[in-house]
Amino acid sequence: MAKKTIRTIPQKRAEMPVQDPVARAGNFEEVALGFSLEGALVESERCLVCPKPNCVPACPVNIDIPGFIVEISKKNYRGAYDILTESTLLPAICGRVCPQEDQCEGVCPVGETLEPVAIGRLERWIGDMAIANSWRNTPPIAPNGFKIGIVGSGPAGMACAADMAKAGCDVTVYEALHQAGGVLRYGIPEFRLPNEVLDAELENLKALGVKIECNVLVGRLFTIEQMLDELGFDAVFIGTGAGYPSFMGIQGESLNGVLSANELLTRCNLMGATQFPRYDTPLGLGKRVAVIGSGNTAMDALRVSLRADAEEVYCLYRRTRAESPARVEEVEHAEEEGVRFEWLTAPVEILADDNSNVRALRCQRMELGEPDDSGRRRPVPIEGSEYEFEVDTVVYAIGTNANPIIGQTSKIALNKWGYIEADDKLATSMAGVYAGGDIVTGAATVILAMGTGRQAARSMKSYLGIRDSSAVYQKPQENGEASIFGIDPTERAHVRVRVA
Amino acid sequence: MYDTKYLFQRNEIWWVKVAVPRSLRDELGYDLRRSLHTRNLAEAREKRDRVVEELRQMIKESAAAESSGRACRESMVPDDENGFEILAREDFSDVTFLLEVDAPLMSKAAKPGQFVIVILHERGERIPLTIADFDADKGTISLVIQAVGKSTIEMQQRCRAGTHLHALVGPMGYPSELGAKKIVCVGGGLGVAPIFPQLRAFKESGAYVVGVVGFRSKELIFWEDKFEKYCDELIVCTDDGSVGLEGRVTLGLEMALKEHADVDRVIAIGPPIMMKACADTTLPYGVETIVSMNPIVVDGTGMCGGCRVSVGDEIKFACVDGPEFDAHKVNFDELMSRLGRYKDDESRALDDWKEMVS
Repeated sequence: MAKKTIRTIPQKRAEMPVQDPVARAGNFEEVALGFSLEGALVESERCLVCPKPNCVPACPVNIDIPGFIVEISKKNYRGAYDILTESTLLPAICGRVCPQEDQCEGVCPVGETLEPVAIGRLERWIGDMAIANSWRNTPPIAPNGFKIGIVGSGPAGMACAADMAKAGCDVTVYEALHQAGGVLRYGIPEFRLPNEVLDAELENLKALGVKIECNVLVGRLFTIEQMLDELGFDAVFIGTGAGYPSFMGIQGESLNGVLSANELLTRCNLMGATQFPRYDTPLGLGKRVAVIGSGNTAMDALRVSLRADAEEVYCLYRRTRAESPARVEEVEHAEEEGVRFEWLTAPVEILADDNSNVRALRCQRMELGEPDDSGRRRPVPIEGSEYEFEVDTVVYAIGTNANPIIGQTSKIALNKWGYIEADDKLATSMAGVYAGGDIVTGAATVILAMGTGRQAARSMKSYLGIRDSSAVYQKPQENGEASIFGIDPTERAHVRVRVA
Repeated sequence: MYDTKYLFQRNEIWWVKVAVPRSLRDELGYDLRRSLHTRNLAEAREKRDRVVEELRQMIKESAAAESSGRACRESMVPDDENGFEILAREDFSDVTFLLEVDAPLMSKAAKPGQFVIVILHERGERIPLTIADFDADKGTISLVIQAVGKSTIEMQQRCRAGTHLHALVGPMGYPSELGAKKIVCVGGGLGVAPIFPQLRAFKESGAYVVGVVGFRSKELIFWEDKFEKYCDELIVCTDDGSVGLEGRVTLGLEMALKEHADVDRVIAIGPPIMMKACADTTLPYGVETIVSMNPIVVDGTGMCGGCRVSVGDEIKFACVDGPEFDAHKVNFDELMSRLGRYKDDESRALDDWKEMVS
């Protein structure tokens, strides 16, 4: 086959069908429907298979991206899945929720002249195919007797749990809510990540022998110290996330009708409030909703509000579209569905009616000034530009802070913002206790959380003296026994096992 | 023309055929047929009406059974056998009842002042409840519930010894701080039960404990023996004066404060209006007063912020910063207004549900 060049590959990205904007604004079905077989094959042809790929180091879990794409173009889909699962536990999830434009797709050389290869969509396509065909890569596991506790069942905890289970540890994941998945369950709405996808990935985790215990609030039911001293855990990973919502501190935030995006999303995604009164949890959303902020959570809140029968939904952001931290695709989707954007606008006060309900927002127009520390141009209020904006619901999506419970109940050192202090190996100030995900990094992405979960797993393995390999799963050799994490089976005798 | 309505012939024998409505076709098939055992059309016509009537009756009965079955399936979410088992139930009045739930780990971890969240069944909401008692030896915790809304009335109907709660998580929030030497513990309404573990803990820590508990009338009093056991003084107040002081708990509180000038702390638990009244009562005496907040909570782990309470100049989350706060700083009016946020939804849920089960 002739060598592929930028001129010989398909010039345009394969189309991915999406649900019609008008129809989808009224349902919770998934918006992006995923590639067709033809689409995936065309898209896989667009990869130049660079000898020194930029995309692999740009991926937080270093997926062999050209490797799996080549397998797709060879129509060896199972092979592509095997390559993906060497590095990621959750292809169907990451393909959907990763900010690929800032990671792999952002550095794809095809992107310099054309649209970059749709790596995320291809990953998702393989992930979905694996779920549909019940593919599962469970490596042979030799129990080593170590007991690992994971606090929080979000992406960081799931990734860490998988790696430790594959290394042969007895892993228990504790979740405070009544359903597992963390932010993937309560935060990301069904139209972006269907629950079946999450359930399938959780089943994969259980197939590795991981035990998931819901309704356990670590810190209060038992402490991290008790896990190590009394419950017999050899090491603990903390991935409790940054779920504590921020408010602005302006007048009127305690009025009825002001809520955090987390509250709105939790009511809908976890508690089924859009099906009230069939489900017991009410939603309490009004007809004119203003969401403050323009990150991914804001987009989720906006689009959930639309689907939950709000008539008009507005996004208020103090900078412009260019500075908006949300994924480009999310902003586009929200706009198509009918969300209205008020850029360069900041609320200064929330106004009440006679019954302490929200009546309106007093807003201020902004303009962009000099760049600040983050490199983004700082919004500056325009004098005399204040005006009233009539709404009955105000949703805050301006960021979150560290969850305080572990800090309140253990001696683990925190930094001045309340996040857990961890070194570059993700070890905390307490021996045997590691932390990762948003509780260390501050609010970030699913894939970054997974990356830190895996990094913490590596550190835990070296702390416990367990042999490590970076591969999550390695295909059985053609002629011979399966290797465990790249370790020769005959070498098993050297693997350290816990002495009772 | 021959009248052959509902009739058809098979092997020269006349049969009756009645169509089945679409919704029942899974169960009954496309139509119901019955032979009239005659080759004579006139005879068949004679028999026809009675048979048609019988077949229609069958369809009607089947439709009724189907719809009531559907309503029943809709309203009754099955008991979650993997949930948390209820070991005992005790009714204190027609609205107040106690559940003793199997929770070995929690019974050891629980401390006075903390709360739990329960979910009745898989479509249920998360209900915050202050822990009314815990017994580490038996491995149980007790919850006292007032059946006032849809979820709690449904709990009153469904929860029996042997049934299960879908979820039970906790203990949540900071425990009460001990350390007072002479304390007045005030419990009214929903707050009578949760004040008990507090006054027991204070008594066991060596404090002089004055208990003030309020009920509507004599018949509704419960746990008098338990309170007697751990109080140095117990003041019972009833609205109708059928026992103890006639009036609200603030009357008893005022009396205790007048009698004991050296009271160094007051704890009040109950409906917001009662806690507000207690805060007003103690203010002139300058006694440190603690109240336990019961705002609307979704997750209870600091994630939703629905439980925001203004305490002084600060906004606190009752679930992770509380639930106990300085009564003289809490903005009770705001709390009460926020508690009413879902009033319309709540009454709608209750009406819908009542209609479904009746």
